[in-house]
Amino acid sequence: MKDWVKKHPREAALLGAIAVLFLLPLGGVDGFYTAGNLRNLAIDNLPVLLAAAGMTVVIVAGQIDISIGSQFVAGGIAAGLLARSGLPMPAVALATLGLGALFGAANGLLVTVARIPAIIATLATMVLLRNGVLRATGGDWIQGLPSGFQWFGLAPASAPLVYLAGAGLVFAAAAWALRHTTAGRAFYAVGCDHEASRRVGLNPERRVVAAFAVLGVATAAAALLNYTRYPTIETNGGLGFELKVIAAVVVGGTAITGGRGSLIGTFLGVILLGSIGTVFTFLHVNPAWEKAIQGAILLVAVVADTAFGRRREGTSP
Amino acid sequence: MNAGGGRPGRLARHSPNGEWVLIVVLLAEAAVFGWAHPRFLSWENTFEIARLAAETGLLAFGLTAVIKTGGIDLSVGSMMGLAAVALGGSWSLGLPVGAAVFLALLLGAAGGALHGLLVTRLRVPPLIATLGTFSLYRGLAEALTGGYTSYTGFPAGFLALGQAYLFGWLPAQLLIAGAVFLALWVLLHRTVFGRELAVIGHNAAGARFAGVRVGAVTLRAYVICGVCAALAGVIYVARIGQAKADAGLGYELTAIAAVVLGGASINGGRGTLHGTLLGLLCLIVLQNGLRLAGQPSEIAGLLTGAVLIAAIAAAQVLFRRSVRPVAADASVSENPEEFTMKNHQLALLIAAILGGAALIAVSNLFLARSVVEAGASIQTATHAAVAAAPGGAATVPPPPPQARRVVALTPKAKADPYFVSCKQGADAAAAELGVDLLWDSPTDPDPAKQTEVVEAWITRGVDVIAASCASPEALSSVLRKARARGIGVISWDADAKADARQFFVNQATAEGIGTTLADEGARLAGGSGRYAIVTASLTDANQNEWIKFIQARMAAAHPGMALATIQPSDGQRDKAMTETRNIVRAYPDVKVIIAVAAPAVPGAAEALKQENRRDVKLTGLSVPSLCKAYVHEDWIQSIVLWNTQDLGYLTVRAAVAVADGSLAPGATSFSAGRLGTLRVEGDQILLGKPFVFNAGNIDDFDF
Repeated sequence: MKDWVKKHPREAALLGAIAVLFLLPLGGVDGFYTAGNLRNLAIDNLPVLLAAAGMTVVIVAGQIDISIGSQFVAGGIAAGLLARSGLPMPAVALATLGLGALFGAANGLLVTVARIPAIIATLATMVLLRNGVLRATGGDWIQGLPSGFQWFGLAPASAPLVYLAGAGLVFAAAAWALRHTTAGRAFYAVGCDHEASRRVGLNPERRVVAAFAVLGVATAAAALLNYTRYPTIETNGGLGFELKVIAAVVVGGTAITGGRGSLIGTFLGVILLGSIGTVFTFLHVNPAWEKAIQGAILLVAVVADTAFGRRREGTSP
Repeated sequence: MNAGGGRPGRLARHSPNGEWVLIVVLLAEAAVFGWAHPRFLSWENTFEIARLAAETGLLAFGLTAVIKTGGIDLSVGSMMGLAAVALGGSWSLGLPVGAAVFLALLLGAAGGALHGLLVTRLRVPPLIATLGTFSLYRGLAEALTGGYTSYTGFPAGFLALGQAYLFGWLPAQLLIAGAVFLALWVLLHRTVFGRELAVIGHNAAGARFAGVRVGAVTLRAYVICGVCAALAGVIYVARIGQAKADAGLGYELTAIAAVVLGGASINGGRGTLHGTLLGLLCLIVLQNGLRLAGQPSEIAGLLTGAVLIAAIAAAQVLFRRSVRPVAADASVSENPEEFTMKNHQLALLIAAILGGAALIAVSNLFLARSVVEAGASIQTATHAAVAAAPGGAATVPPPPPQARRVVALTPKAKADPYFVSCKQGADAAAAELGVDLLWDSPTDPDPAKQTEVVEAWITRGVDVIAASCASPEALSSVLRKARARGIGVISWDADAKADARQFFVNQATAEGIGTTLADEGARLAGGSGRYAIVTASLTDANQNEWIKFIQARMAAAHPGMALATIQPSDGQRDKAMTETRNIVRAYPDVKVIIAVAAPAVPGAAEALKQENRRDVKLTGLSVPSLCKAYVHEDWIQSIVLWNTQDLGYLTVRAAVAVADGSLAPGATSFSAGRLGTLRVEGDQILLGKPFVFNAGNIDDFDF
């Protein structure tokens, strides 16, 4: 136990913070610790969790993507239009994931082939996609979806559990693969030292494109899980999604400079930042304070990173 | 930059990153837009562009210093909001306005110093440090004002900072931004400090060994950036006349784009302040030109993205400068090839601009044609007047009667389903009357961006403007200007100040809406119990007004009703669902939910459905088409609204009547086509009482 804390100070600190947060509603607050509320909390954070998994890969590889909010809504709208055109839901899902891979790969190519710094390239694609969506839909919601769209046609009572189980399995598999497979480790190598990874024969450009594509697929999956919760699709969704996701990843201990980070940390980061709003609502705190407190947590997390003397130079976990 | 190989030529010295290309781009833009619309090339429009660029410009100038060190500051827009609130708050507490401005600037310096310390002392990556303060500052501004307090009524001397024209033509803020530009230019390009910034950006470790005090210099760069952001916030307040927590929302993106387009490397080291200025002008001129050409703002957004990619990609690929931080030798062999490369870069950029223009023309051939025709007719009619007073003080006579009238409507937010349905009615009326309809606004309600849309219409010389004001204070100053130029002005949906418009097309008063919603809520709750409100964002002026009247009506007529909580949905259906689920669990005794934003009602309904809470009733303000299914399933008991299509229809009818003089002050009734004759009370045209839609009648409406 002590060893684990020493080896994983960030994860331990996050667990502590989460414990404190979840202790708050114990004192005389009804309704927080019910199966239904915890299930809601989990399913609300599922889209952020999936996208954060992809974002962890991109940031570990030394890049960043701020266009995922636009990708998110574009994925939802594409899924809705395809479903409305009569495509069966499995095909809709596959096509949406494929589109996500395309969006991601396009970002990756802008970064590697056109050599545009990631933050600028994805700033541009963020603006492009958002305005493209608006141009294409005129702001109208996608309505008249087939009945099999919501919850993929599953029973509304069991569907959330299926979503949770499915996303949980995928996330666990990704967490394992990022740490224990050659392909996963390669992202760390590229993010740690681009040139060194080239010298050992890793083809860093291809890995970067792959990282962006992984994020694109993860974002499309997040969009599917989010928008199939509804019978219609809104066209201005996903605003600020990228900031939520990046904040969770960074609070989870992934170094923005690349080469360091884990999906376990990301998982904890998503739980911490994603639960604050709900806990505060149950504590009857004025919602105006929510944003300020989330910003403060992010700052405390990154300052703690250096104040406790963590190794700063990129090393694998 | 140009180390070795002797002293470089004048051009290479002043534009080490190919900044001169941007001048060519600017000229290309001017040529394209000048052809599309004659008034684009007027002095008046030139100063208008400069006026609107001042705030973003201040952010971009400060950011240039930070980006040169290899850092970034994402929090500049949020700092504008915090500075605005600090200024308004301290002024309302009795501080003289000068001291309040000073305090706001001091706060900017403190914020910048905080970033500097985080980055230099604690070695937090700048992107992350300022991502944290991005939320923190905005959050503080919202928390301090509860989101809804806005400070207005500033003295005229202060407002002059953002609204006055010196000598009748020189906007005051242009003077301030110009002074800051000159000071920073000298600092960045003619002092040791400026060189040190660049050296740190190239190689911080090397700079340290060379005796540069890296920490202190970097800190100063962030302080400069913070003060510039606070100053931008002050000017923003002066320009729109109100201080509120949402000032500067989203401004950081344009500012960063301008710096990068101006040739600065996001990895540090490279970048010039005049490059930033040119980059900014390229972006602003693009937006302004497209607005004048009557193009919707999405097109400007699409082209901005495309130009950004094209410009940076061209610079990166053709300069063959590695962007990889590991390649330390990249800056050695850069000079000899630069000139041939720049020609390619130039070609690419111009191709991007012209391609964009061609895209617009093809995608919207009719509009393009009508724009050119309308422009030509205006030109002939007003040639003498414009020529006589190039400073822009000319009052523009109405265009000759044979030209099609141009009616410009601005909704608060274009993507809002409520306004999307208004547009259907507006289109119908425009077709009946044979007028050209311009319809534009920002995608989210943003008073500053909305005033920019209207400014462009004034310059363009439309016949009549109808505005649904995201903020009465902000829009009124620009609407007054429109009236002074002889353009007909009415307001619709959300009123401006009474002297800024001729008529208000009143769909229902805030009081009427609040009262109807409160009565519906009390009826559904059976007269007593707790109720909760789901609003748009906590800073939304209209919603806050309705909520005020809901609470007042509840207190006066339904004493048994008690407010449990108000939760924000940020105008997003997803968040409305999450918040509603939390409300019904955290406040189990809530009997009725009142949702006061169009997307929030279906979101709340989906939440009740998924929670299976038949005991909680739901009413609110929304569009029937989004709620129909839920109303039939009885998850929504009723929605309160007027006929939005009729509102759009009536607005265009009234606007045209104001333009041709058939609707003048003193009228008591107005014949509005298919709507029959409507009552006019004073300067308000009344659409009728708010309408309650329920399962019995909702199928009769198709909007």
